Amino acid sequence: MKELQELARKLLNDGTVKVVIGYEEGTRGVRPAFITDAKQADKLIFDKRCVQNLAAYLNPRRKQVAQLGTPAVVVKGCDARAVAGLIREKQIERDKIVIIAMRCGGVLENPETDSELTSKTVSVRCGGCDVREPKLHDHLVGELPPEPPVNNHRVEQIEALKKLSSADRWSFWTNELSRCIRCHACREACPMCFCVQCTADKTQPQWIDPSATPRANRAWQTMRVLHQAGRCVDCLECERACPEHIPLGLLASYVADSVERRFDYVACEDPAVAAPLGVYKTDDDEEFIR
Amino acid sequence: MTHRFLSHASLTALVAELVAAKTRVIAPVHATDDPEQVDYRPIQTLEDAALGVRLTRGSLKEFFLPPTEVLLHYKQTKEGIEIREVPTVAPPQVILGSTPCDAAALEVVDKVMGWDYRDELWFGRRDASTIVSLLCAAMDSTCFCSATGLGPDSFRGSDALLVPVQGGYLAHVITPKGEALLQGYAEADENMKASAEALQGEARQKVENNLTAIPAEFSAWLASNFDNPIWKTIALRCHGCGACAGVCPTCHCFDIVDEHDTADEGVRRRNWDSCQTSKFTLHASGHNPRGSQSERFRQRIQHKFSIYPSRFAEILCTGCGRCTRACPGGMDLPKLLDELMTLAKTEAKGSDTQGSSL
Amino acid sequence: MSDEVEHGSDGAWSPKVVAFVCNWCTYTGADLAGTSRLQMAPNVRVIRLTCSSRVNPLFIIKAFERGADGVVVSGCHTGDCHYSTGNYYARRRFAILHDLLEFMGVETDRVTFSWVSASEGNKWQEVVNETTARIKELGPFRTLQGQKGVEL
Repeated sequence: MKELQELARKLLNDGTVKVVIGYEEGTRGVRPAFITDAKQADKLIFDKRCVQNLAAYLNPRRKQVAQLGTPAVVVKGCDARAVAGLIREKQIERDKIVIIAMRCGGVLENPETDSELTSKTVSVRCGGCDVREPKLHDHLVGELPPEPPVNNHRVEQIEALKKLSSADRWSFWTNELSRCIRCHACREACPMCFCVQCTADKTQPQWIDPSATPRANRAWQTMRVLHQAGRCVDCLECERACPEHIPLGLLASYVADSVERRFDYVACEDPAVAAPLGVYKTDDDEEFIR
Repeated sequence: MTHRFLSHASLTALVAELVAAKTRVIAPVHATDDPEQVDYRPIQTLEDAALGVRLTRGSLKEFFLPPTEVLLHYKQTKEGIEIREVPTVAPPQVILGSTPCDAAALEVVDKVMGWDYRDELWFGRRDASTIVSLLCAAMDSTCFCSATGLGPDSFRGSDALLVPVQGGYLAHVITPKGEALLQGYAEADENMKASAEALQGEARQKVENNLTAIPAEFSAWLASNFDNPIWKTIALRCHGCGACAGVCPTCHCFDIVDEHDTADEGVRRRNWDSCQTSKFTLHASGHNPRGSQSERFRQRIQHKFSIYPSRFAEILCTGCGRCTRACPGGMDLPKLLDELMTLAKTEAKGSDTQGSSL
Repeated sequence: MSDEVEHGSDGAWSPKVVAFVCNWCTYTGADLAGTSRLQMAPNVRVIRLTCSSRVNPLFIIKAFERGADGVVVSGCHTGDCHYSTGNYYARRRFAILHDLLEFMGVETDRVTFSWVSASEGNKWQEVVNETTARIKELGPFRTLQGQKGVEL
C-alpha cells in the first residue's frame, strides 16, 4: 500500500494527474476514493475487500468526475478489462488516463460480512483468474498474493438451471425478475453501460416498457445482458448494485460462456482486440440455423 | 393511549383470523435468496413471520405506492375513447412488525400526497391499513431515527406498537384503528410496563449516539448554501443508480406512462422514479438543469432536509439507514449529514473550513 | 397484433408466428412459394426488412411480448448477402440470442433461424409448415400478458 500511496502522491504532485480514483476505508468498509490532494494519498488502500470496479468512474457521462481532470485509476485485472473495453469502444483515450494496476489475489464477494478468502467467500469470478498481474497498465503495483480459491457456486447454479425443463427455467426467471423495480441501478453501476440514451429510455417508440411488470422486466434484463454480450467483464457490479438482490451475475455469466464457446473470446485487456459481435468469421458455427 | 398485554397465542390467533377473513397480513419474513435478511411479505400464519430479527431490506412503501400501478385503462373505439379508472377503495391489510421508522414515513409522505391534490390511490390504501409496529432493537450504525425526531419506540404512524415482554408483547394502543384490531385479543396489562419501558430505553440509547439530532436551522443553512463548493465533491462516488430511492420509505417520486397492448387499447401506469437518474430533469429541449451527479445528489439532500421541511414542516427522512446499506458506491448518509451539520456550525462561527473529506 | 388467442376454422387454437425476413433473399423466396401455389399454413405474418442483420433482438422479444407464439428470422445464405457481410454479423448475434432465450426458458423450437434464398420457394414452404406444426405442439407462448389490460 505504501507503494500505491507514494505513486499517487508523485502523480498528483508532478501534475501528471489531477485525481487518483482508488479505494479507501469508508465508514462501512472499503469505498471508492477520489484523491485530488497529494496530502490525502495515504488514504489509498488495496486489499481483498476492494471488490468495486472503478472503471465505471471513467465513463465520460460522469461529468462530476470528468471535470476534476486527468485521472489515474486503480484497477484489478478484471477492472482493467473494463478500461480496455472503454478504450476499445472509443469512450476514453488511452493517453488521457493513467492506469495503476494492482497485483491481485482475489476479492471477497461480501466484504461487509466476510474477512477471509475461502472457496465460499471469494467472489465467483476470481477462481482461475489469468490477469492477476494486469497487462494493461502504466504502473504495476504490489506484491503478487497467492492464487485465490475457486468458488463454484455460480457454475453450479448455472448447471442446475440448465438441467431444468424450459418451463421451470421460465418460472425461475419470472420469479427472480418479479422483484425488479426498474430502478436501473444495474445499468448505472455497470462500466460498460455508457450510452447517453439507453434503449430502455427511448419512448418513440417505446421498445421496452418502463414499468416493473413481469413482461417488461424480462424484456429489460434480456436486452441489457444482450447488449453486454462480448463486452461484459464479469465484475458483478450489476448484482452488487441491485437493491432487490436479483442474481444478475447468472445472466451475465451465461452469456459470457456462450460467447466464449461460440467465438473463442473472453473479455480481454487488449483494446486492439475487437469485440466479438463487431466482427465475424465466415465459418462461424450455424448449426442452430436451418 | 393505553397499553395492554398481547400474548403470543393471542397474536397467532389474531393473524389466523385476519387471514381467514381475507385480510392481507404483511410482516417481515426471512428472504428467499438470503435467509439472513428479511423482507416485508404477506404471511399466512404468525409462524411465517420473522419479527424483530433485523431491519428489512425494503420499506413498506410498495404496499402503499407499488413500484408500478395501473391508473386507468383506455380503449379507442369508433365512438371515441373509453376510460375505465381503477378502484380507489383498497382491500384491507394489516402490517405487523413494522419498524417505527417505516410507520412514521407513511405519515410524512401523507403530507405531499394530500397537498395540492388528494392522491386517492395512496389514501385508499392508507385508509384500508392498520399498522402494528414492533419496538426496534436491531439497529446498526447506519440507523439514525432519533436524529430525525423519531426513535425505536416512536408511536408516529402506527396504530399500535408492540414491545416484547415475557409471554408476548406489551401493546401500546395508539389509535382507534389499533383499538379495534386488538379488541378481544389484548388483555389488561398487569405489570409489564416496567420491563417494556426498560427495553424501550435501551433501544433508544443504542441509536441516539449514531447522529446528533438534526437542528431546525439545518434546513435554512442548506437553502442558503445551494452553491456551496462542497456539493462538487460530496458525491463523486455516487453512481446515480437510484437504489437509495427504491429502498427509501419516504422517496415517492413517480413517472406516468401509457402502455398499449394493441394499437387502440392500453393502460396508464405510474412507476417509481428517482431524482438520482440522469434523465430525471431532462427537458424536451435537451437542456438538463441537473446535468451532473453532484447536482442530482445535492437535490436529494436539499429536497429531504430543506425543501420538504420548508413546505410541510417535516424532514423527508426517518433515519432508517437503508440508503446507506443499499448504496453500491459507498455513500453514507448519517456520516454525510454529520459533516454537513458540522460545516454549518463552523461556518456559523465564521471559521475556515477545508473541503469535504467525504 | 392483439393478444387474443386465435382460433382456426375448426375452433382449435391457432398459433401466431411472426417472420422477420430479408428483402433480397427470403422475401423473394417466399414470394416464389406463393406464385408457385405451394400450400402453406396461414399462421405466419411476414415482416420485410432490408437485411437479416437489421433484426434487432428486441424485435423478437417484442413479438413474443405482443402475442406471437413463435418467431422466424430468415435471410440470405452466408456469402450471398446483398450487403456482403450483413448476415455474418447477424449470425453471431442470433447465436447469442438463441442461447440466452433458451436459458431464460423460451423453448428453442419457438424461434427458428433460417437461410432461404430467392429461389428456395420450397424451403420457405418447409420452414413455414414445420415451424407452425412444432409451435402447435408446444402450445400458446407462456405469455405474460394475461388478459387485456389486466395488471401484469
